[in-house]
Amino acid sequence: MGKVTKDMSIRLTLACILVFSAVLLAADLFAFRWIGWYVAWRGMGRENVARMTGTLYAASVFGWLCLWALWRLLKNIQAEVVFDGSNVRLLRMIAWCCAFAALVFLGGGFFYPPFFFVAVAAAFMMLIVRVVKNVFQQAIEMKSELDLTI
Amino acid sequence: MKIIVNIDVMMAKRKISAGELAERIGITPANLSILKNSKAKAIRFSTLMALCHELRCQPGDLLEFQDDAEEDVSK
Repeated sequence: MGKVTKDMSIRLTLACILVFSAVLLAADLFAFRWIGWYVAWRGMGRENVARMTGTLYAASVFGWLCLWALWRLLKNIQAEVVFDGSNVRLLRMIAWCCAFAALVFLGGGFFYPPFFFVAVAAAFMMLIVRVVKNVFQQAIEMKSELDLTI
Repeated sequence: MKIIVNIDVMMAKRKISAGELAERIGITPANLSILKNSKAKAIRFSTLMALCHELRCQPGDLLEFQDDAEEDVSK
């Protein structure tokens, strides 16, 4: 891939992270109101508002951590620091965030079943990120071997 | 158990500096230093060939195998 195309791709991903951050911020600011309207529209019990809002706020903590780690990861890649231990740590952090978000939504699924699908999606995402992390770890070992081949 | 690189011995015999040797064999002085200090994980045949050519020696003169077991017995 050409350098210009690669830079554009990284910038596009950074822009996507900013969009996701804006969406998450809006969700954090207005989730209580939106969920209130949704619960009223669906005719669900009022006790569900606090439960669903609690689930979303608990998961949003991991969402913010995940977005921050993705931002750092892309900044490292932009600075051409690719096969580095810090990136493996960031990927591990993203995987754990996905795992904790999956657990939060798993708990939430008991009073609002569609949350089970979100939990499965987050768990699957964790799996993918962990595989990528393992590939990175192996690549770092290979790179250090190559760097020390004279 | 390790491989010891005896480049400095041969360099002293041939009276050649590290900088000059690095330039002649086409590697950086930093990489030559890694090799001299036995920090390298592998050596390319092309590098070994260039070293043997410039130092007028055999690979066996540059590389030495040291067995831990033998080392322990001698202690």
